[in-house]
Amino acid sequence: MRGTPARARRWLTAAGAVLALTAVAACGGGNGGSSGSGSADKADLTWQFWIGGTADQAAWQKVADQAHVDHSGITVKLQGTDWNNYWSKIGTLLAGGKAPCIIGMQSLRLASYASAMLPLDDLMKKYGLKTEDFDKPIMDGLKADGKQVAIPYDSGPMVIFYNKDLFKAAGVADPKPGWTMAEFEAAAKKLTTGGRTGLVTTPGDLGVTSWVRTLTGAEPLAGGKLNLTDQKFVDGFTTYANFVRTDKIAPQVPSGNSDFETTQFTSGKSAMQLNGPWSLIDTLGKVKFNLGIAPIPAGPDGSKTFTAGSGFGISRSCKTPDAAFQAIMSMTSEKPLTTLAAAGRAYPARTAAHPTWFTAAKIPEAKEVIEYASQNSVPLVTSKNWVQVNDLLTRFGTQALNGEIPPDQALKTIQDQAGSGS
Amino acid sequence: MLNETVAPAENVRSGRRPALRKDGRYASVFLAPSLGGLALFTLFPTAMALAISLFDWPVFGERKFLGFGNYSHLLSDPVFRRVVLNTGLFVALYVPLNVIVSLGLATWLGPKIKGRQAFRVLFFIPVMTPMVANVMVWRLLFQPGGLLDAGLSSWFGIHAPNFLGSSNWAMPAIVAMSIWQGFGYNFLVFSAAIDQVPQSQLESAQIDGAGPFQRFRYVTWPMITPSLFFATTMTLITSFQVFAQPFILTQGGPGVATQTIVMYVYNQGWQFLSMGLASAAGWVLFVIIMGITAIQFVGQRKWVNYDV
Repeated sequence: MRGTPARARRWLTAAGAVLALTAVAACGGGNGGSSGSGSADKADLTWQFWIGGTADQAAWQKVADQAHVDHSGITVKLQGTDWNNYWSKIGTLLAGGKAPCIIGMQSLRLASYASAMLPLDDLMKKYGLKTEDFDKPIMDGLKADGKQVAIPYDSGPMVIFYNKDLFKAAGVADPKPGWTMAEFEAAAKKLTTGGRTGLVTTPGDLGVTSWVRTLTGAEPLAGGKLNLTDQKFVDGFTTYANFVRTDKIAPQVPSGNSDFETTQFTSGKSAMQLNGPWSLIDTLGKVKFNLGIAPIPAGPDGSKTFTAGSGFGISRSCKTPDAAFQAIMSMTSEKPLTTLAAAGRAYPARTAAHPTWFTAAKIPEAKEVIEYASQNSVPLVTSKNWVQVNDLLTRFGTQALNGEIPPDQALKTIQDQAGSGS
Repeated sequence: MLNETVAPAENVRSGRRPALRKDGRYASVFLAPSLGGLALFTLFPTAMALAISLFDWPVFGERKFLGFGNYSHLLSDPVFRRVVLNTGLFVALYVPLNVIVSLGLATWLGPKIKGRQAFRVLFFIPVMTPMVANVMVWRLLFQPGGLLDAGLSSWFGIHAPNFLGSSNWAMPAIVAMSIWQGFGYNFLVFSAAIDQVPQSQLESAQIDGAGPFQRFRYVTWPMITPSLFFATTMTLITSFQVFAQPFILTQGGPGVATQTIVMYVYNQGWQFLSMGLASAAGWVLFVIIMGITAIQFVGQRKWVNYDV
C-alpha cells in the first residue's frame, strides 16, 4: 500500500512530462493553414481587420462587398476586433497558420509580420495592378525587403494642424509650405501665453521621428539597424525635447495617454500639433475654431516628414491567393476608396480618390499642403521589433520631454533595451 | 467471545468499505467536471508555460531550446528587476492602505450608524463599475491641465504635479486610484465580520471600563482576525497581479516607473511576441505569489484566532 502513492506520483510526473512535451511538439507544427477555399474566380474568403464600432463595421463591409460586385464568385466575410486586440489576435493566427486569407496591415508594424505574409509582386504583375495609381510613399511603406506585402487603402504624410483663431489673435501669419524652423519657433513662442502653449508634443514614434528628420535629417534606422544613438538623431531629439523642457512652448506630457496631444489641441489649449491626414476630418468635427493645416517646418535641408498608412495583405496560409488578390484589388479600387473618402475617413492611398477627400475636408489649403508634404516625405521604415521600440520611445521619451532624464540617456536606454532592432 | 467481538468489527469494516467505495465513485463523478476544467484550463497551461519558458519562442520563426536562459536574462535585466521592485512597491503601499481604509470605514460604520446600508452600497459602487471607465475618469483628474491642475491653478495660482508624467508621482497616483477602486470589497468583508461580534461582549467590556479603542483592540480585533487573514491573503495575491490600472493610466511609464510584472508578461507575450520570456516572467510571478502566500499561512498561526 505504501508503494502506491509513490507509484502514482511517478505516473503523474511521467504523464505530465509527456503532456507538456506533446504540447510543445504540437505547437511547433507547420503552417498547415485552412483559410479560404475555392479557386481564382470562386472563393469564400475571410478578412480580418481592426474595427472601431458598428459604423466602422458597416463602412468596411461595403468595402468587402466590392469584391463580390466585381467577381460574382468571390465573397469576402469581414471579421473584426478593436485596434489593441487586433495585433495580438492576428499574431497568434498567423503564427498558428490559421490566419484568414486577407489581413489588415499597418505600415509601421509590417516588418514584424511580413514573414507570415505572401509577397504580392507576382500577383500584381499577373493581374495588372498599377503602382503609379497609388501614393508612392505608402506603396514603399508597405514593402518588406523590397517586396510588396500589402496594397494600401490610406496614406498619411505627417503635417501640422493649427488653430487659425489663435494665430489671428496673436497676430501670427498663417504658416505656408516652406516655412522655416525659426518662423515656427517664433510663432510658438508668441502663441505660448495665457495658460496656452504654441505646440503640443508626443513621445510616440511618428511624432519623434518626423520632427527629428526635419530638424537634422536623421532616420531611426540605418542599414536596417536601429540608429537612435547616432549624433544627428540625438541632436534632433534634444531639440524636440527642448520644446517642452527648456523652451516651454509645449506642455509636459502625461505617461501612456496617446489622446493627450489631440485633446490638448482640440480643446484649444495648444495652438499646433503634428498629426496625420487620417485625423483631419475627425478633428474638424471636434473643434470649435477654424482649423488650418501646414507642412512640418523646414529644417536645414527643407521640410522633411514621414508617411505611414495601412493596407491589405494575404497570409501565407491562404489556399486561394489569386482570389484573395482579386478581392484586394477590388477593395482598394477607386469606388470603395472614393466612398470612404466622401465619408471623411482616412486620406485615400489611390490618387484618383483624392479630390473627393479634399472636398470632404473643406479646408482650402489641404490639397496644396498634403501634396507638398507627400512629396517631401518618405515611408517610416521600421524594424521587426518596432512595437517594442515604440513602447520604449513612449516610456523614456516621456521622461526626456519632461526633463527627468537627458535626451541622449533616453535614446541610449532605448537602443540598449531594443538591441539592433532586427 | 472472541468470535463475538471480532465479528461485529469485521461486519463494520466489510459493511463500510463498499459504501465508502460507492461514495468515492459518486464524489469522483461530481468532481470530474471541475477537476477536468482545472486540469485543462489551469494545470495544462501552467505546465505549458513552464515548458515554453525554457525556449526562445518567438511567435514567428525558429524556436530554440535555451534551458534556463530566459530566467538568467530576466535576472540580469535591469528593467525586469525594476518591474519586480515596482510590483513589490505597489503591494507594500496598496495592501496596508487598502486594509486600513476598508477596516477603518467598516469600524466607523458600526451597527449604530444611521443609513449604513446606503453607505455600504455607495462604497461598493467603484468595485462594480468597469475598471476602464474608472481609470479614464482618474486620468482626467491627474493629467496636466486636468481637474486637479486646473482647480489648483485657478484657486491658488499654483500648478499640480504632472502626476502621470513624473516618475515620483505616477506610482502614488496609481495606488490612490486603486484604493478608491478596490477598498469596497474588503469593506464589505470587514463589515460582515464586525456585525458578527456579539453586542453582549462589547457591552460587558464597556461596563468593565474599556474605551472604544480598547473594545476594538481586545474584543473586536481577535474576533475578526479570520476575516482579516482572508482579506489580506486575497488582496495580496490580486495586488501582485495588478495590471489594468497602470496599463490604462500610464502604460507602465514614465520610463518603467509603474510597469508591473503582469504588464511585463503582457508586453513580452502579446505586444513583442516573445512567448518564452513572457512565460518565464509569468513563472517568476507564480513563485513569488506562492512563496508569499505560504509565508502568510505559516504566520497566521500566531495571529489568527479561530477559537472564539
